[in-house]
Amino acid sequence: MKKAMPKEEQRVFFPSDRAKMIKALGKEALIENLRRMLMIRNFEIRAESAYQQGKVGGFFHAYIGQEAIQTAVLQAIGPNNWFATSYRCHALALLLGATQDELMAELYGRSTGNAKGRGGSMHFYTDRLLGGSGIVGGQIPIATGAGFTLKYQNNKDEVAICFLGDGAVAQGAFHESLNLAALWDLPCIYVIENNLWGMGTGVERAISVDRLAEDKAPGYGMKGYTFNGMDFFNCYAGFAHVFKEVKETSRPVLIEVVTERFRGHSISDPGLYRSKDTLKECMQRDPILILEQALIEAKMIDSEQVKQLDKIEKDRAVAAMKYAEESPWPNPVTLEEDVYAP
Amino acid sequence: MAGKQIVEMREALRQALDEEMTRDERVFIMGEEVAEYNGAYKVTKGMLEKWGPRRVIDTPIAELGFAGLGIGAAMTGLRPVIEFMSFNFSFVAADQIISNAAKMYYMSGNRFSVPIVFRGPNGAAAQVSSQHSHCVEAIYSNFPGIIVIAPSNPYDAKGLLKSAIRDNNPVIFLESELSYGDKMEIPTEEYLVPIGKANVVEVGTDITIVAHAQMVTVCRIVVKELAKRGIKAELIDLRTIKPLDIATIMTSVRKTHRCLLVEEGHVFTGICAEVAFEIQEHCFDDLDAPIERVCQLETPMPYSKALERETLPNVDKILARALAML
Repeated sequence: MKKAMPKEEQRVFFPSDRAKMIKALGKEALIENLRRMLMIRNFEIRAESAYQQGKVGGFFHAYIGQEAIQTAVLQAIGPNNWFATSYRCHALALLLGATQDELMAELYGRSTGNAKGRGGSMHFYTDRLLGGSGIVGGQIPIATGAGFTLKYQNNKDEVAICFLGDGAVAQGAFHESLNLAALWDLPCIYVIENNLWGMGTGVERAISVDRLAEDKAPGYGMKGYTFNGMDFFNCYAGFAHVFKEVKETSRPVLIEVVTERFRGHSISDPGLYRSKDTLKECMQRDPILILEQALIEAKMIDSEQVKQLDKIEKDRAVAAMKYAEESPWPNPVTLEEDVYAP
Repeated sequence: MAGKQIVEMREALRQALDEEMTRDERVFIMGEEVAEYNGAYKVTKGMLEKWGPRRVIDTPIAELGFAGLGIGAAMTGLRPVIEFMSFNFSFVAADQIISNAAKMYYMSGNRFSVPIVFRGPNGAAAQVSSQHSHCVEAIYSNFPGIIVIAPSNPYDAKGLLKSAIRDNNPVIFLESELSYGDKMEIPTEEYLVPIGKANVVEVGTDITIVAHAQMVTVCRIVVKELAKRGIKAELIDLRTIKPLDIATIMTSVRKTHRCLLVEEGHVFTGICAEVAFEIQEHCFDDLDAPIERVCQLETPMPYSKALERETLPNVDKILARALAML
């Protein structure tokens, strides 16, 4: 039996200076990032409630607890890059400009949905989001191919960024993709969002090393980093550093972001493998609370204004439920359309 | 005056690749040993020298990785041609082909098409045993979103590969190791062969024989043998398996009233099973005899040539079955 994962306090994260980050980003950008995290949280909560009401079917994987990570990525690298992620894809689609309306309508299986009601919760897209992938690790070669295209086109302004869970590190697609990206100097950033659980199997029972990026990356001649996924500032500092590095070197990078989902693996997972005390403890490290506190301390916002932001996002998500509910079902006449591209 | 040239199948394929790479800067070829080694079967001979390593790319032995990378490249604006040294190695890459390439355009609500060609030798060669001999067409034809092409001669191979590269969907392009050296006279000018059109290779009135790929070559001998006995067989080369050109088959069966299906792959849920079902759907009243088939027996491919010969369809078996139907 290998030893348990190191506790968060024992981990060594990428060094970052919160005060410096606050100063560098400024009030407007920071409030916008807080708003985006509240947008994700509120969307997921409302979507979950729609699921409980029987409005949404299939599998449903919430990003609740992990919001700081992809929000920080967008702040650090911007939307004009290639993105790919797993089935836990709602947040990234929102951050890349998909509307709450089209995403909620997709969850409701309506014709106005993000993928015309064909993809559902696990398959959201935007013009730069190559999808939520339903197969663990299936998106890693896809993102690697996007990096290949950038290099083929001699595009040095963009990168391909791939999000995967800790469970995907065990897949062959992970190994083959990293080997290819490192071999061919592809501008790819691989981000392992280590939420400590591959469904109900703890990461220490699935992966043979403790530090998913820093222990694995050297085997591919790549750099590896570890970020604190609960801390927006640490994520932002880290991603900004890596983005610059990849653009300069065209070398792929592997990142582990330690986080914790506050929900089960999917909506049908009661999470019995995790004690209530452990969950309670991790929920005190809520990335939204941490950012909110920091901004309040920096006197950029007060708690009343946070409540207002939260309410606006809540109302938007509720309005999206209404939009979805009132949207037409896909016409069965269209069922067999678009199996092949023209 | 249209020029003619006599070329082997491998050269016809190479010309198709070369012409499409000339026509479209987004086309590249990637696979194991395609560049410095000049291709395991020499289909890409000389291409590295002409096009350089940016567009003729040797990969590590990682089919899942480079097939998936190709799909990602196709989704982001390129038009990859991925060579499998044997289509049996595509099983290692199956998740990427099936879960990503086949489903992406539909699943993404038309947002991302996947214009990619997977090509390489399919089915049996000579005594390479079971892990290198499987015919994959029945497997991949089961996935909506995939086009499956299996040419039988150099003319079709060139014209269909060019069409496949220009198509905006994932194409499984099946070649035969035993056919790479087959020679044929083809035009020197550019031409295309359309996807989804079967070809009536021999015109006849007494029985329709339907085959694809290497089996068409075998069936040509069968047709000659039947002719010696005064029987006029019509031979149809499917060329494209999916989408299936059932109309050409229907027209023929309505004329001959008898149909024999031949397939190198296995009997169970093979291409013949689908073709036969569609014939009975459309031509039930036209048939004067039950549809028959000659396929590979239900065994993994044995190594010994004495056994290999027995499990595959051959001239004797096909001829005997055809004669029994008349």
